[in-house]
Amino acid sequence: MKNTIEVRNVSKTYPGFRLDSVSFTIPEGAVVGLIGENGAGKTTTLKAILNMIKFDGEIKVFGKDSKNCEKEIKEELGVVLDDSFLSEYLTAKQMNKVMKQFYKNWDEDKYFAYLKEFQLPEDKIVKEFSSGMKMKLKIATALSHHPKALILDEATSGLDPIIRNEILDIFRKYILEEESRSVLLSSHITTDLEQIADYIIFIHQGKIVFFLPATDLLENYGIVKCDEKEFQHLEKKDYISYRKDKYSYQVLVSDKDMVKKKYRFTVIDKPSIEDIMLFYVKGEGK
Amino acid sequence: MKGLIIKDLLNLSSYKTTLFLILIFCSMGMIGTDAVNFAPTFIIVMIGMIVLSTFNYDEASHAEKYIVALPLTRKEIVMSKYVLAIVGNILGGIIGIILTIIIVNVMNVIRPDDLIRLDYQGLLVTVISGIFGVALIQAIQIPSVYRFGAEKGRIQMFLLIFLLVLMIAGAGFLITKIGFDINMEEINHFMNRFGIPVLILVSAVLYYISYKISYKIFKKKEY
Repeated sequence: MKNTIEVRNVSKTYPGFRLDSVSFTIPEGAVVGLIGENGAGKTTTLKAILNMIKFDGEIKVFGKDSKNCEKEIKEELGVVLDDSFLSEYLTAKQMNKVMKQFYKNWDEDKYFAYLKEFQLPEDKIVKEFSSGMKMKLKIATALSHHPKALILDEATSGLDPIIRNEILDIFRKYILEEESRSVLLSSHITTDLEQIADYIIFIHQGKIVFFLPATDLLENYGIVKCDEKEFQHLEKKDYISYRKDKYSYQVLVSDKDMVKKKYRFTVIDKPSIEDIMLFYVKGEGK
Repeated sequence: MKGLIIKDLLNLSSYKTTLFLILIFCSMGMIGTDAVNFAPTFIIVMIGMIVLSTFNYDEASHAEKYIVALPLTRKEIVMSKYVLAIVGNILGGIIGIILTIIIVNVMNVIRPDDLIRLDYQGLLVTVISGIFGVALIQAIQIPSVYRFGAEKGRIQMFLLIFLLVLMIAGAGFLITKIGFDINMEEINHFMNRFGIPVLILVSAVLYYISYKISYKIFKKKEY
């Protein structure tokens, strides 16, 4: 299987923050969610991939060096940035006139089909769009040159659940159209990622904490609720971290079936990605 | 690069009415005062300023970050602003000349007993001087917008124009104080003979140096 994005030992230092030797690989056809709290390094990682910042390390996109083949790479990438767009003062129709100059593969028919599908007005300036409409326009613009991969920075944040769901559907459709397409999306709304991501990268204080298949996290991880006595019996190697409440313990385990059998726990809860994130960040005994 | 220029022109399309009003205002000014040199200079300066406002549109849309993510080199991004500035400047000059010629001829037809003799050489010198003036402002302004941002740049531009006026006035005052005798006739003679090529050359050099500085700043910029 080919890799769409390879990030090797990427580091970037800002005053008070360091993205520390981040490495991961995104295979073709995978949807990868980048999670982490605000300021954890998600956007910095995406910026490095898009060559928006200077960094140490190496990044390859479609097998090409991101620094030397920037233009070729970006021809094949669709990008959605939460806080930036071409212009707030153009209409969706004018946007087409501009965007077709940038991409050799720009597909006008596809773009207008998206506008119709997303019910976006062609002659209204972007500034007058609602935030959901703006995001849909950004996505329509990112998808209309048949990109091989999508990079999305907080594409669903600040939107209501219905719009978010619609947007996730758009991404699902995009992936289904061609098997080799990949998506890397950063979000702090982890429930969105639970619905769509094949893999989850969790980044915390500039370091990757884990890069795991989403099914593994959602199916195999578990939260054991027990008292102190039961907790004392647990071997360190069988859990990831724990949180101590007033009278009980909550323990995050990575193989809930094994723990259930070994320690005869009757109930082990299924955690959400957010729960797992919290255990990694706030939990003790790591 | 073409896409960025189209984007800027579309952003500026709201200035269509303003530009039309400027043309009407200049025409009326010319008819009222017979000052044939006023219109081209005014038009060049206005277009020069309007072109610079594309930076404000980009800043208001937070567009730079998105533009950097497009399949464009940073060289093309900076170049697009200079192409727009230079073409706008030249176009301002051409519009100014055409408008002056039209108005003067119309006035001469309407008032045949009070003919205005149009000094074409003088008009051209005025236009090229205007272009040079705007080139000087843009050449300083564009790199500083890349360095400090469009909002701060706007304040800086007024300071810059104020400083330029102050420097010219100061130089004039000093020359008179020292008692240095300026032969205006000689200056005029020089300007009429060599003014046009010299001003065009200096404007081109200013734009070139400015572009190099802007690119150097923009190449290092992180988003």
